[in-house]
Amino acid sequence: MLKAITASFVYELREIRHSWYKLSLLTVLPVMLAVLIISVFRDGVVRDMPLVLVDKDHSTLSRVFVNHLDASPTMAVAYKVGSVREGIALVQKSQAYGVVIVPKGFEKNTLLHLQPKITAMLNTQFILIGKIVTADLTAVALESAAEIEYLQSLQETQNPTLSLKKIAPVGMQVTPFFNLYKNYFYFLVSALIPAIWQIFIVITTLIAIGGMVKEQRVKAFFVTDKHIWGKLMGLVLPYTVIYTIWGVLFLLYIYSFWAFQGSFAIVILGSVLTVIAYQSMALFLFVIGFDYARSLSLGAVYTAPAFAFLGITFPMYNMNDFALFWRDLLPLSHYLQLQISQANYGANPWEESSRLLVLASFSLIMIPVVIRFKAYLRKELH
Amino acid sequence: MTFFDILKQESRLIFKDAAIVLTILGGVVLYAFLYPQPYAKQSVSSLATAVVDYDKSDISRTMIFSLDATPQIEITRQDLSEQAAKEALVRGEIKAIIVIPKNFKRDLALSKSPTIAVGADSSYFLIYGGVLEGAMKSVLTQSAKVKIANLLKKQVPLAGAKKAYQPYALNTINLFNPNNSYTQYVVPAVFVLILQQTMLIGLGILGGGINERMRRRRADRYLRTVPAWKMYLARLLLFGMIFFLHMLFYFGFSFQYFGISRLAGIADLLTLGVAFIFASFSFGVFLGSLFNTREIATPAILFSSLPLVFSAGFVWPLESLPDWIHALSLLVPSTPAIHAFLSLNQMAADFSMVIQEYALLWVQGSIYLGLALMIFSRRRRANL
Repeated sequence: MLKAITASFVYELREIRHSWYKLSLLTVLPVMLAVLIISVFRDGVVRDMPLVLVDKDHSTLSRVFVNHLDASPTMAVAYKVGSVREGIALVQKSQAYGVVIVPKGFEKNTLLHLQPKITAMLNTQFILIGKIVTADLTAVALESAAEIEYLQSLQETQNPTLSLKKIAPVGMQVTPFFNLYKNYFYFLVSALIPAIWQIFIVITTLIAIGGMVKEQRVKAFFVTDKHIWGKLMGLVLPYTVIYTIWGVLFLLYIYSFWAFQGSFAIVILGSVLTVIAYQSMALFLFVIGFDYARSLSLGAVYTAPAFAFLGITFPMYNMNDFALFWRDLLPLSHYLQLQISQANYGANPWEESSRLLVLASFSLIMIPVVIRFKAYLRKELH
Repeated sequence: MTFFDILKQESRLIFKDAAIVLTILGGVVLYAFLYPQPYAKQSVSSLATAVVDYDKSDISRTMIFSLDATPQIEITRQDLSEQAAKEALVRGEIKAIIVIPKNFKRDLALSKSPTIAVGADSSYFLIYGGVLEGAMKSVLTQSAKVKIANLLKKQVPLAGAKKAYQPYALNTINLFNPNNSYTQYVVPAVFVLILQQTMLIGLGILGGGINERMRRRRADRYLRTVPAWKMYLARLLLFGMIFFLHMLFYFGFSFQYFGISRLAGIADLLTLGVAFIFASFSFGVFLGSLFNTREIATPAILFSSLPLVFSAGFVWPLESLPDWIHALSLLVPSTPAIHAFLSLNQMAADFSMVIQEYALLWVQGSIYLGLALMIFSRRRRANL
């Protein structure tokens, strides 16, 4: 068995050395894609999202509000227009994320305690920005209203501390657990790059085995129908090693910025198992039809939608049963849970044994793979 | 060879190739079903939350009740200490912890502004944001109640007190996607990308396959002799028809099925759709003319998907995108197409507002088609 593994490992190494395609998939391309994704999110936080202001009051009080708005890091008054219609047109063209309207008589009605309303029409089509802007605008309105209320109350009571307490009878203090910086870079990149990683693993496995079938090297490689498992393992072993190294390098990169709470070794073990799990699944996709191009299409169906199912952007707690089932079929979702629970929560390593077991169990799919291969080789070799 | 014969030859090339059929027929239908699944429940709700109530008064119980009543928060456990709650959080049983301090009721009565502590798992932003939104709502309601009660004590009539508790208010209106539906956020844009990517893979396999045959001197008379522009015209008709039907299925039936708003007029949508299909087709034959083998198409297109989604400007704002990435993404039809389709169909824009994107699609289409014709003809001559 060991001889079979070594022989086919050496065989594939030689193949890789002579193929620009395989070489770049192992080296340059992963780096290029990672750089691309990292550059997209290099800012990490949302800043100065453009808003349209329709100020129909032009008073001292409306300026107090607008100043508060402009001071907020996430929003900026980018356009000032005369009508709501013009403002909405800017939103429809995606040049602004919302229209803020200060009504006529805003100052007068505020002073008369008639509680005028500032209207904000926000584009919640883009939920990520929509939510941030909604929340921060609410905060800005509360803040600026509190400032005015404080000044009014101060006139009545002449007591600064009492006035302050009266404005907010119940306070709220918010603590973000785990991703302390509330940074999108960490949040999205730490899942997106692994999602691209799994595509690399599946695709290269299919290229290794599919290319062999297409180029009619099967007979020369297998010779007999013995030790199939070992030969397949040796064939994909170079990729197992390289992609595990990439996985670990990525972990080292991302956690050079953010604290890693738990056991790094457990996550490395997890990434080895994840690579093997995906390689086994890819071999399974291949033996469905023993056709190179078709297996790539299946690989695409399997890996392309994966990111949506990981539960990073949209939480798994609100997924339906089918989505949860599909999610379980993706090794990456188990791996990312392991990564998050170790990196963020610093959970006890022993509690991860079930996740590692799930990842390891994906290689059971090799049983039907070997059976199918045996039948296929009997036909091919005679 | 009549044009009808050319059409027959082209359909043979397409439909006899199982990998192409699997992608442009099977794949397109399968993706329409698969992609929206995670978001089927549309929005984030009922996040499991623990409460640590150190006050145990009637007011703190009202507070807990009002927290539980928000759609975002569901109080699933009450803990005696923050430590116990935190352990449950690490075990993944809950996503947030809310602490009501000792003497909450007394401090409220004394106008000492007691503070409620909210902690939420920020590993997942939607969860964090949801908990915050819910907690904010109930704290503000509670604050308003106290203020109104204080004003009533000062003999201000109820109607006046309700208005005077705050100098002015903010009234937010969700302009588009009013229910904050996650499906409507992701699916319309991703569907445009799926249509493009499946078309590119189909045309890439086809083009790569043709190049492969020419290189191995295995090309038949059809591939060797028929004028390239006639070939491409026939291919455009076939792919155009298939993807036009796909487009109707995606933007019609699927949108209806998943409850996504369709605000665009049918004429506007189809006008844009034709430009999009033309641009994607041209980009596809251009890539196909470059590929040396049939099997390069799927990996190449597959690797581009995630970068294209995240540089299209709907998940992550264009304003935060590096310029060079935005410029690169404009080379691909999906970027202007996603933008224009969202504007028309989700944000009820006038066609005049997306005219730039529309024009860009035609420009892309014409350039890529010209390049494809040039490259293919040159390759063919080299292999004759």
